[in-house]
Amino acid sequence: MCAATGPNVTRLVGQSMPSLEAPDKAAGRIEYMADLTVPNMAHAKVVRSPLPHARIVSIDASEARAIPGVVCVLTRDEVRADPDVEEVYGFVYRDAPLVAMDKVRHQGDIVAVVVADDVDTAEAAAELVDVEYEELPAVMNVPQALAEGAVQVHEEFFPIAPELRPIEGTNVCHHATIGCGDVEVGFAESDFVYEDEFLAPPVQHCALDLHAVISQIEDGQITVWTNCQSPFPLGRELERIFKMPARVIIPYVGGGFGSKSRDRIECVITAAAKLAGRPVRYVMTQEETFMTFIRPAYRNRMRTGVKRDGTIVARHNEFWVDVGGYAISGARSANNTLKVATGPYRIPNARVDCYAVYTNKPPSSPYRGLPTTQHTMSYEAQFDRIARDLGIDRLEIRRRNLVRDGDIHITGDYLRSAHSHECLEQATEAIGWDEALPVDPEGKKLRGRGVSCTIKYTLTPARLMSENSAEVALVENGVFEVRIGTVNIGQGSDTVMAQIAGDALGVGLDAIRIVHSDTYRVPVDSSTTASRSTYHMGRAVVEATDNLKPQMLEAASQLLEREAASLVFTPGGIAQADGPSVTYGELVERVGSPLAATGDCVVGGMYAGPDGKSYPIASTFWTFASCAAEVEVDTETGTVRVVKAAASATTGTAVNPHSIETQLEGGIGQEIGPTLFEQLVWDDGGQLINAALLDYPLPTMETMPDYAPRYVDHPFEGGPFGAKGMGEIGSVVVPGAVVNAVYDATGVLFHEIPLTPHKVIEGLEGQR
Amino acid sequence: MNVNLTVNGETLSLDVPPSTTLLDLLRDRLGLHGTKEYCHSGVCGACTVLADGKAVSSCSMLAGQVDGADVLTIEGLTPDEGLHPIQQAFVDNFGLQCGYCTPGMILLAKALLDENPSPTREEIIRYMGGNICRCTGYAGILRSVEAAVKERGSWS
Repeated sequence: MCAATGPNVTRLVGQSMPSLEAPDKAAGRIEYMADLTVPNMAHAKVVRSPLPHARIVSIDASEARAIPGVVCVLTRDEVRADPDVEEVYGFVYRDAPLVAMDKVRHQGDIVAVVVADDVDTAEAAAELVDVEYEELPAVMNVPQALAEGAVQVHEEFFPIAPELRPIEGTNVCHHATIGCGDVEVGFAESDFVYEDEFLAPPVQHCALDLHAVISQIEDGQITVWTNCQSPFPLGRELERIFKMPARVIIPYVGGGFGSKSRDRIECVITAAAKLAGRPVRYVMTQEETFMTFIRPAYRNRMRTGVKRDGTIVARHNEFWVDVGGYAISGARSANNTLKVATGPYRIPNARVDCYAVYTNKPPSSPYRGLPTTQHTMSYEAQFDRIARDLGIDRLEIRRRNLVRDGDIHITGDYLRSAHSHECLEQATEAIGWDEALPVDPEGKKLRGRGVSCTIKYTLTPARLMSENSAEVALVENGVFEVRIGTVNIGQGSDTVMAQIAGDALGVGLDAIRIVHSDTYRVPVDSSTTASRSTYHMGRAVVEATDNLKPQMLEAASQLLEREAASLVFTPGGIAQADGPSVTYGELVERVGSPLAATGDCVVGGMYAGPDGKSYPIASTFWTFASCAAEVEVDTETGTVRVVKAAASATTGTAVNPHSIETQLEGGIGQEIGPTLFEQLVWDDGGQLINAALLDYPLPTMETMPDYAPRYVDHPFEGGPFGAKGMGEIGSVVVPGAVVNAVYDATGVLFHEIPLTPHKVIEGLEGQR
Repeated sequence: MNVNLTVNGETLSLDVPPSTTLLDLLRDRLGLHGTKEYCHSGVCGACTVLADGKAVSSCSMLAGQVDGADVLTIEGLTPDEGLHPIQQAFVDNFGLQCGYCTPGMILLAKALLDENPSPTREEIIRYMGGNICRCTGYAGILRSVEAAVKERGSWS
């Protein structure tokens, strides 16, 4: 028997356990979006623009409409004709029309939706929609978009999030600055100043579960099933556009990595369902997902001033993010990484300029850590150049600059749980940093090691507010239902929430049932993004149990006719020591209805520092990580192989240790693709030439390095049982470590990923 | 056209349009949703099933090509109660996260272990290198297959 359990008693938290749904996944019994159907549904195919930028002269869908089995065709004319439908959506940046109105802004832009009784008919009819375009000059990259006299992708700007600030008359849909100290003074005080430019091309997330949606309108209410990671913001957006209540239901999702973080098809398919008068289902093809959201092209120009001993005095970091044709997701993502662009280092004088730029590429979205990954590659590669130039050991120069607890970040935040030094030591030790490298007797294969360090933020509101809530209910048979908006996307969230709820209630896993992500059955949540769920939803779950306990005690007190203060919680029910008891099942049965309580996770506001001062909170928690990698470079073929890769991250309390390790392995393994060989390529006519998987290699088991996942699990004050989030951090540190390992092996510092054989050979030849 | 085949032990005679793929037949006609689709070009392996014991991409095979074949999907591998040892190995060794590639991976591992009951790590990597997983970085999958190899003697 135990007293009311609080955060001090942990039986489930800290245990490694497979995800609750793993047996059903192994049996193929889990239903994803493409497995769902609703009665009487019709099927949609989307007519997409073949051109990156064009004015629509006319759309003739009469031939398509005449095909037997075609229910309707939604074009701009039908949208304009319906006074109860708003034309433009986007809950961060309102710039995306449901279907193209006057012009198309990227290859694959949505021009029309054909709805038919079956998929084949819809596909055949879609071929018959005749669209006449007047081609416009396209700006296919940031330099073109910023050139004097460049065509404007959007003539007007409609930012919704207050922090987004466009530059009128240009393609810059957002520019913002952050800083501390005075960079010009800092550069003047520096012994050396280094300037570099780093580039990373777009890639796609390649979540295997294809983007899909079913939309149904019945009795004046929308119900949407989708694999979007933001069910509540999406529901609100549907309600604004269609002026009727909307319910959003998310099934299990087969990965997203950011590509599903914002809506892109839900609103237009709902418009099609409204026109059809029937539920409409739409499943993208893999090629279509490549035209929907991509990781943006990235450029970073970085100046760093250092003292002779490697101490950083000043850094000015300007970065450009190519948000593509619509800023619905990309502009705020770019802005968010202002906070981490200077890295996990003490820099007295720093300035960062962020530019989010419209082009005629597909829209961009976050990709497992936003552009933090590319920032990290940039400042870490430059750091190795500085270290080599100054003759300072690569680890030592980092140790001299890495932040510690109590340092003030560029955002003004007072850093806590900043175990950046421990991460560096753990990661390097894990790959045997000091051991001799194997030497190829023929001298053709070169080995090297590299390291990178990072700081990552989580999505944090600018003011004190609740970002999400959870509800915990004692229901029939003594089961505790944990109702959460967190989308189960494969990250193990149901399991972590069950562990947290179980320990907060003092019950076993078999007494917990997770209900997730149905906006009519669970309380509000902002999104399943930015590694935020373990911390935020975990806290809401703990608070919900705290609010439920007095209700249960009160009910038990009445039933047992004992003072509530004399009762304690046990794993099976509520009891008086050496006195009567009631099981949870009896309790709910005797009360006659479920007992339920909600809990909120309130974040933002100010932090009261130990020095009595008040500090801003730009991130609810900061995650620190390091990666150490060993590579082998084949100097004849230019092939780079990552032999070993260790990542160490600050996780707070490790709720499910083995799940953390496998998240780190997965992050490293995924990022090896964009680091070594993945990139989307457009031809001179603005056509994406490798949208099919046949032309787009992904990491396989054969590219897998030996992983060494590590974590620093000091409890984080305020986190549920001391936990923080960590779903993205494994990938963030990879390109920096690999670029530096190749530098170590070859003496060539590459300023652009991926490190393709062609690029490596060119680099090696340039050195000779 | 008429196609005769065995799916998960059940003999079927089906009339299907000639353009029907094995994937369409399994998912749309038979409602066996454990077989997944992503690339529809035979690259990713999410749609892997066994045809006469060999791992095939069901998206890239026409139903007519499996006329007379014995097809096994994840539903057929799963016992009435509990899991097949390979499935259990994937659960115990964190060989899955989102679960979308998992049925294909497990069937590919089944084909490997049927062909070669005691593969080396290199042989596993070469064989399993044909299927894509986006979540695990493959380490958990490799551990799962190695665990299944160790247990191989205990199941038929």
